[in-house]
Amino acid sequence: MKLADLTHARTDYNYAFLDEHAKREVRRALLKAVAVPGYQVPYASREVPMARGWGTGGLQVTLSIIGESSRLKVIDQGADDSVNAANLRRFVARMTGVQTTTDALEATVIQSRHRIPEEELQTGQVLVLQVPLPDPFSYVEPSRSLARELHADSDYALLWLRLYEDLTLHGEVLTGADHPVLVQGHYVMAPSPIPRYDLAALHQAHHLTLLSAGREKRLYAVPPYTDVLPLAFDDVPFQIERQQGWVCQQSGAQHGFMNEVPQEDGRSYVLSDTGYLEKLLRQKRGEPAIIGARRKSQQDQPGSAL
Amino acid sequence: MAYVAARGGEQAIQNAEALALRHLQTVRPEDIAWVEEHLSLLVDRVMGEGSLYAPQLAALALAQSGGDLAEAVLLLRAYRSTQPRIALAQPVTDASLTTVRRVSAAFKDLPGGQHLGPTLDYSHRTLRLELLNGTALQLPQVQQHPHPAPRSAPGIAGWLRQDGLLGTWPDSPSTELPDITRDPLTYPAPRGARLQSLARAETGGLLALGYSNMVGYSGVHPTVAEVRLAHTEVLLTHPVTGALFSAGRARVSRAEILAPLHSETTGLSLGMCGTLGWNETKLIAGGVLDLAMDTPNVHPALKEEFVLNHTESVEASGFCLHFKLPHYVTFASELDRLRSAGTALPSEEVTS
Repeated sequence: MKLADLTHARTDYNYAFLDEHAKREVRRALLKAVAVPGYQVPYASREVPMARGWGTGGLQVTLSIIGESSRLKVIDQGADDSVNAANLRRFVARMTGVQTTTDALEATVIQSRHRIPEEELQTGQVLVLQVPLPDPFSYVEPSRSLARELHADSDYALLWLRLYEDLTLHGEVLTGADHPVLVQGHYVMAPSPIPRYDLAALHQAHHLTLLSAGREKRLYAVPPYTDVLPLAFDDVPFQIERQQGWVCQQSGAQHGFMNEVPQEDGRSYVLSDTGYLEKLLRQKRGEPAIIGARRKSQQDQPGSAL
Repeated sequence: MAYVAARGGEQAIQNAEALALRHLQTVRPEDIAWVEEHLSLLVDRVMGEGSLYAPQLAALALAQSGGDLAEAVLLLRAYRSTQPRIALAQPVTDASLTTVRRVSAAFKDLPGGQHLGPTLDYSHRTLRLELLNGTALQLPQVQQHPHPAPRSAPGIAGWLRQDGLLGTWPDSPSTELPDITRDPLTYPAPRGARLQSLARAETGGLLALGYSNMVGYSGVHPTVAEVRLAHTEVLLTHPVTGALFSAGRARVSRAEILAPLHSETTGLSLGMCGTLGWNETKLIAGGVLDLAMDTPNVHPALKEEFVLNHTESVEASGFCLHFKLPHYVTFASELDRLRSAGTALPSEEVTS
């Protein structure tokens, strides 16, 4: 073997931007995360050419697992064409040449902020969620060192107390998005700020979910077929967002998570998942569209037991 | 321009970037060189927070970002993160520093002497308006001292240690250097990691927290043992011959701060902050915070974890700006709870 065989021409950037050492570190952390569902694994979290808090954690995971045969979908609030989603997709495509799609069924890797696609994801698909605050304690106990101890002791009293205080003061649990979930009966996890409606899509799912917080330098995972149950008291049922009676103005759909759009004379509603909406519209026009199975019913998801 | 359009988000962001980068159309390479030479303290601040010593790249980052400091630091950091870590340089010692400014507030005079060097500390802060009229500035000639200052000066900490006022060095100093760009910071942080974190902390953030300590929040009553601006050679060991060689020269700066922390074993404690580039305000604030963090029962905003986490420039600015991103799904979720709990105010009567 010649020395020349072992070298390669200088390139401006490595495939998928991150150098191979950085990718290997992320992959090792991912393996650990999958092995210990819901546990936050620290990782170095390199700077990438995006601002922190703009999906750098999700991006590092995507860049570390993506390959030539991957198909990438990137969404923000459910929308493929939201400005930051467009930017992230453009960056990954530029650094890898990978094919992109807006179809949740076609994608092998879906990077998302704040939503899970409406169509049920399947075995082999990977959902990468961008996470702003990886620790469910951050709303009640900002010290990360102390939060780590509480996780180690499985001491989640503070989180339960927060729910209880909401109930006694307001008669309702007031967490909006990012409602804490119990993963496989052990770690309580921040599911990232997805609506409560989306939590059911993590429970006993076919797909793998990877969650990564670049700024906070933590990543964690929900492997397929894992229990993910929202924290809720036995006698106070967990509630998803109430959107009964809402009709999507564009597709006429009466299911799926919708955006409320203020109008001068009131409001209208439209599906938040634009890839799904696009397919419904195509079907409506009589064009071919393969629409995936709807996810498990959100209404009857059990809460976790105390 | 659509913020979230059904289609066209990608075109929108490209056009938005083109609008923001219009100022670059007329930038010439010599303009970057001008920034590097004439705004050197700004360049130093960006290099310090970017933790990359590269004056030319820092000047380019400043020009590219239109002078947005956080953006310039991010540009430099994102570039840095793609560069391999080739070797560890030799430690910089007091004796190896070519010192251009060194002042101590603790003693009137001290071994190695007091040397003001270049400073605006005693300048009258009046705008030199004559420059706007096209008149060249009349600047006094720098007078050469008959006895030039020594090239380097010993640190004052050594003298204090000999005198028993300061704790001794550890018998076996840690040889494992942490690298906070390769391993996440965990708390309590090893000292090396803390000093690295301070070195690249956001200057304004360190100043705000350091100032709060100076005016009384868990105040440590600091005395500046030394502030030093210097040049250092970056000495590497040649991988084949083993010989030491200089890979280049860098501006570096350091402050050592003394305070009695009422520890039982030593009279005084030494706080330290060192940076790439010359960043005096940051040095003193950082050195004071280094001490404050070790004070028993310190104010929560001055604990190590609080200080280091919240003065991280790239993370803090990025997270702050991210609130501009669409949040309509999370906001909808929140609205749902408010409406459900009946805590929303009664809707307004429309009177018109």
